Amino acid sequence: MIKLKGVFSNFKRYWFLMTQLISRDFKVKYKRSVLGILWSLLNPILTMTVMAIVFSQMFKFKVEGVNYIVYLMTGIIMFNYFSAASNAAMTSVVENFSLINKVYIPKYIFPIAKCLFVGIDFLLTLIPWLGIIVLSYFGLGQYTCHFNIYYLILPYIFFCMFLFTVGIGLLLSCLSVFLRDIWHIYGIVLTLWNYLTPVFYSIEILPAKLQCLMQFNPMYQFLTAARGIVLYGERPSFTTMGILGLIGIGSLALGTFVFRKKQDKFIYYI
Amino acid sequence: MIKIENVSMKFNLGIEKDSSLKQLFVNFFTKKKKEKNKEFWALKDIKIHINKGEVVGLIGSNGAGKSTLLKVVSGVMKPTKGTVNVNGVISPMIELGAGFDGNLTARENIYLNGAILGYSKKFLDEKFEEIVEFSELRDFLEVPVKNFSSGMTAKLAFSIATIVNPEVLIVDEILSVGDIKFQEKSKKKMMELIKGGTTVLYVSHSLESIKDLCTKVIWLEHGKVVEVGDTDKICDRYYKEQMKG
Repeated sequence: MIKLKGVFSNFKRYWFLMTQLISRDFKVKYKRSVLGILWSLLNPILTMTVMAIVFSQMFKFKVEGVNYIVYLMTGIIMFNYFSAASNAAMTSVVENFSLINKVYIPKYIFPIAKCLFVGIDFLLTLIPWLGIIVLSYFGLGQYTCHFNIYYLILPYIFFCMFLFTVGIGLLLSCLSVFLRDIWHIYGIVLTLWNYLTPVFYSIEILPAKLQCLMQFNPMYQFLTAARGIVLYGERPSFTTMGILGLIGIGSLALGTFVFRKKQDKFIYYI
Repeated sequence: MIKIENVSMKFNLGIEKDSSLKQLFVNFFTKKKKEKNKEFWALKDIKIHINKGEVVGLIGSNGAGKSTLLKVVSGVMKPTKGTVNVNGVISPMIELGAGFDGNLTARENIYLNGAILGYSKKFLDEKFEEIVEFSELRDFLEVPVKNFSSGMTAKLAFSIATIVNPEVLIVDEILSVGDIKFQEKSKKKMMELIKGGTTVLYVSHSLESIKDLCTKVIWLEHGKVVEVGDTDKICDRYYKEQMKG
């Protein structure tokens, strides 16, 4: 309990640093660009348009009974958050070596700041996403999505996904200090993970065996819960919500455990 | 104030080699031939007590362990053995401007670097003017720091680092930043801090500045304490020893 209190007071003390690191990332990202932060809105819209054309027009993908464009976009923005945030978190500790080597800063700040930074981008992509859902009322796509009260559960799902991502980010950032190969390996793992998650296809096209295995894919769980609300107006069962919470906390606990255990050794691998 | 108890610090010189998968793979098959990693003790059984308000100089040849000792005290490194106890807020000036981001302007960097040194937003808002004033860089506030000359960068960094009244100040060879005018100014600022009761750990190769500032000197060599005590006496002995060859 005392330990936990210490963690929180430490967190509070370094919160300002966290906000500074995040705002630095934004400033550097949009430096010298005319549209600046508007890109965070434009980028998903344009990507979406391309993906929608490729999958619904060229490959004629569809998912029975639902608006495919909304189905696709929900999958893309959620998976993209996970992949971009975990990737940025992974390199964050190594990239800040020069700092870690000179000033005492709790090192977990770096991966968490990255997950938050990409998280803000994610929240911005929700605007065009909601826009697409509204457009479905006006005949975009075959079926209409309906806003419903269960949308209020979405923040919980996103938060669990955030915790899951932070956990993975902590784990990867720590491991990559010792083994830089992780960077290359993870890129491939992410590509594979992307295809193994029903982002643009429906799980029903998979053989039964794979469908069972899919249950163990955390990203599938997050996507399915969110899509259930948006496309079917279904409230996720309490079991599902419990599982999502456990995935988030479990991943965070694992990441924290490994990170804490190894962080004092970082300095030797600079 | 600062208690360094039996601190030892071990480095593994061979550690670089193991950081790739290929190397791990190779090592796996050549296990028998693999040399035992070379160990290097940067600090050996260091025991130092420093009281509040003391200004302690650290001298010794290159590689004697001075900077490592500072890093251990500031918490950047955890000692392999022994404990370090520091009472109070530490302000490390180990390398000025380590926290700067070249893409950001001076104004943005004041906040970023301040946050890295552990200052709060409120504190920085209050002291912003003072920092700008001291750094003499008011006209360059909106310029990205990567366009600064090294002297300008150092001036800005020094101004940010010394804006607090830290209880412990850790200084590694920085008093020679900027032009002559700024050097004098920074020296004055240091003296002010010292008079205010700050405990200072100061590393320098300039015996002159050590004699100027320090009340006590620790002479390190090969990770061990050679002598501790009176500034002038030890500085002279150290100088003779160095010159001998």
